[in-house]
Amino acid sequence: MSIAADTTTLARQVLVTKTAQRPWTGRLLRRSGSWSLGLTLPLLLPLAILGAWQSASTWHWISPQILPAPAVVWGTLVDLTASGDITTNLGISALRVLYGFLIGGIAGLVLGLAMGLSPTVRAYLYPTFNAISLVPALGWIPLLMMFVGIGETLKIIIIAKATLVPIAIAAVQGIRNIPENYFEVGSVFRFSRWQVVRYIVLPAAVPSLFNGVRQGLNHAWLALVVVELLASSEGIGYLMVWGRQLFQLDVVIATMIVIGAVGLLLDQGLQFAESRLLRWRRSAY
Amino acid sequence: MAKPGHLTLRNIRKQYTVNGNAFTVLDGVSLDIAPGEFVSIVGHSGCGKSTLLRLVMGLDGEYEGEILLDGHRLRGTSLDRGIVFQEHRLFPWLSVTDNIGLALQNSPLTKAERRDAIQQHVELVGLQGFEKAWPNQLSGGMSQRVAIARALVNRPEILLLDEPFGALDALNRAKLQAELQRIWQVEGITMILVTHDVEEAIFLGDRVVVMEPRPGRIKRIVPVATPHPRVRNDCNLLQVRESVLEEFREETIETISNAA
Amino acid sequence: MSVQVIPSTPALRRAAAAVAARTRLWQGLALPVAIIVLWTVATSANWVDTRILVGPWKVVETAWFHLTHHVLWEGLGYSVARMVSGFVLGGFAGLVLGVLLGASRIGDRLVSPTLNTVKQIALFAWIPLISVWFGMGEPAKVIFIALAVFYPIVFNTYEGVRSVAREHIEVARAFEFTRWQTFRRVILPSSTPQIFTGVRLGLIYAWLATVGAEYFLKAGPGLGNIMIDGRERFLMEQVIFGVTVVGLVGFAVQIIATRLETRLLRWRTRSNA
Ligand SMILES: Nc1ncnc2c1ncn2[C@@H]1O[C@H](COP(=O)(O)OP(=O)(O)O)[C@@H](O)[C@H]1O
Ligand SMILES: [Mg+2]
Repeated sequence: MSIAADTTTLARQVLVTKTAQRPWTGRLLRRSGSWSLGLTLPLLLPLAILGAWQSASTWHWISPQILPAPAVVWGTLVDLTASGDITTNLGISALRVLYGFLIGGIAGLVLGLAMGLSPTVRAYLYPTFNAISLVPALGWIPLLMMFVGIGETLKIIIIAKATLVPIAIAAVQGIRNIPENYFEVGSVFRFSRWQVVRYIVLPAAVPSLFNGVRQGLNHAWLALVVVELLASSEGIGYLMVWGRQLFQLDVVIATMIVIGAVGLLLDQGLQFAESRLLRWRRSAY
Repeated sequence: MAKPGHLTLRNIRKQYTVNGNAFTVLDGVSLDIAPGEFVSIVGHSGCGKSTLLRLVMGLDGEYEGEILLDGHRLRGTSLDRGIVFQEHRLFPWLSVTDNIGLALQNSPLTKAERRDAIQQHVELVGLQGFEKAWPNQLSGGMSQRVAIARALVNRPEILLLDEPFGALDALNRAKLQAELQRIWQVEGITMILVTHDVEEAIFLGDRVVVMEPRPGRIKRIVPVATPHPRVRNDCNLLQVRESVLEEFREETIETISNAA
Repeated sequence: MSVQVIPSTPALRRAAAAVAARTRLWQGLALPVAIIVLWTVATSANWVDTRILVGPWKVVETAWFHLTHHVLWEGLGYSVARMVSGFVLGGFAGLVLGVLLGASRIGDRLVSPTLNTVKQIALFAWIPLISVWFGMGEPAKVIFIALAVFYPIVFNTYEGVRSVAREHIEVARAFEFTRWQTFRRVILPSSTPQIFTGVRLGLIYAWLATVGAEYFLKAGPGLGNIMIDGRERFLMEQVIFGVTVVGLVGFAVQIIATRLETRLLRWRTRSNA
């Protein structure tokens, strides 16, 4: 082992010297990992975009009807927040996502676990499930509108369906991809069916399930925007439609920023939860 | 009365079906193993050693012939038999202690007794200080030690080991072999060790079972009379080694002349 | 575990496998058949308001009508053409940017944080802005589809290029490969599987966006019109037919994408076996 390790280190050293001898590209590469540049670089592009946007409005390259100045958008964002328009509508939207996500998430989990654990359930349900999941949420909207109208039910069903599909698929695949080896270990220790599920299936499927939940939340948020754009009189998506109809692009862009910020928050939150929950995946090297 | 745990294999024959064709992996394997004995099984890879262990463990019930434990036919797995797989098969989401504790899910011990048993076995394999570590923070040798502890914690009568040190470097392997010998002497249980390392087989085994491939059969059983604890360069061991290696040499010559 | 009785001869075994496959097929069909039967009974026995839920026969009639008229096929042509244009545009942009960001650390630090943030704006939230900037016509639709395709392809390409094993790069360095050789011989082949995953996802998103574009940017012919028109005129049978067609095309796209992926990656499965 020690000999092998030595040769690898030696090889590394040779390579490192080689890169060091290379002209400036190598050095710049390593320096870009340093603190100051590491923090500055990501800010350059947004600043450039902002600069271009500002100049476009300062020198009237583009009509403010089509692209309002950054300051105007910022002002609108502040105004809409102060007047409560954003918070109220965001609250309504958040509630819709929450209900739809909970209903769809739980249903998807139950369905996915059932299909993953039982070949019989899978044989009966999977083809139909697959067919239903193939039609995008957008396809179901007109049909559902005729059954349940354009009220709250429609929105929650659409969001729930958008959540259900990725979570159920993740559960099925997570379970089916568990190595047969693990089940043999369970049988060596004489695990009951329940113990197999509790100590092998669930923990082994967690990474896949987490992916499913992340995707589910992502799709839920996407579906919310779709239904609110299409049929709504309140909610963050509606705010956007309203701005568009009045040709107030500052409102549209301000709402886009809010939608992006919420999406970012959700994503980061889940990433954090994942890294906490799946600490065992972090390896030593 | 004799200690329980007498294992008898009678005329074992095992077939696998691949693409609709049955082929024989084991044929006519018979073996008697006394309680507390250390039996090594050597043979080229692919000659059915792992398959044989799986049958003895009760992981696979489809075979012809009989496997008897104290005169009763084996049915399924049992906590009286432990196994160390070729790959360690630790669960990556559990710490070292939790991996060992998993084996005690169905044991009659109380919670406190379990904790003691786990700690005792962590010490037995020399992993103090790593109780909370996750498997992917361990080296190959350490993982194998955890797997051994997990297999022993139920205090099985028989321990099966499937090339447990195959993936380790020579230094670690020698160290773990010595420790296995010590554990075997302390615990006084039956051990069946599968390996393709002739030296390892002879250093540890009371008897060395030499297998030949296609289909897997027992070619010869070589007793190793040297008492335990053994030292590696014992003269008797070296002699036995020569005679076992001779078996493989013949086999190689046969294979070559058959191929020609 | 339960002990299964396994038939011993190959012929018997194959027969058993065939029976199992047929059983699975029937089990899979059970639920859809039950739904159709329930639907037929419910509508013909007037358990439901047949103005809201029409009978299956009515849907078949509408389907036949549309299938024998050119509007459907023309719409299909337009939709597919739109989808392909958007896919090519967005896919190309995603591929190039993904490779650049994956291969260059400076480019990565410069662009990726912004890209990751902008990605968080839900796809459909771009529609109002796109409609103001590009109108309701073809360019707007194609741009929206391209945007939908761009994300999965850029991120999968990036991931694929980034996750090239360091060991392989070191081999390339040991043989003193040039940058181009390293890219051509090491990075590209080892990131192909993930790039194709991106392409497959991109195709699926392309269809979703095509339907979305026809929904929100209502101008010009397209397959989605059947559905939208049906809803506006409250023709349930036409809506059901439209949903089915949208689903079937989505299904076809998915099958083509998956086939393409497995075909192009055959070397990989073979070497794994
Ligand atoms: N589940 C299985 N199905 C089909 N063939 C198998 C299976 N397991 C093992 N084999 C085959 O049986 C033979 C013996 O395998 P194994 O017992 O693992 O050998 P060893 O452990 O001695 O290397 C090999 O040819 C192997 O390919
Ligand atoms: Mg083996």
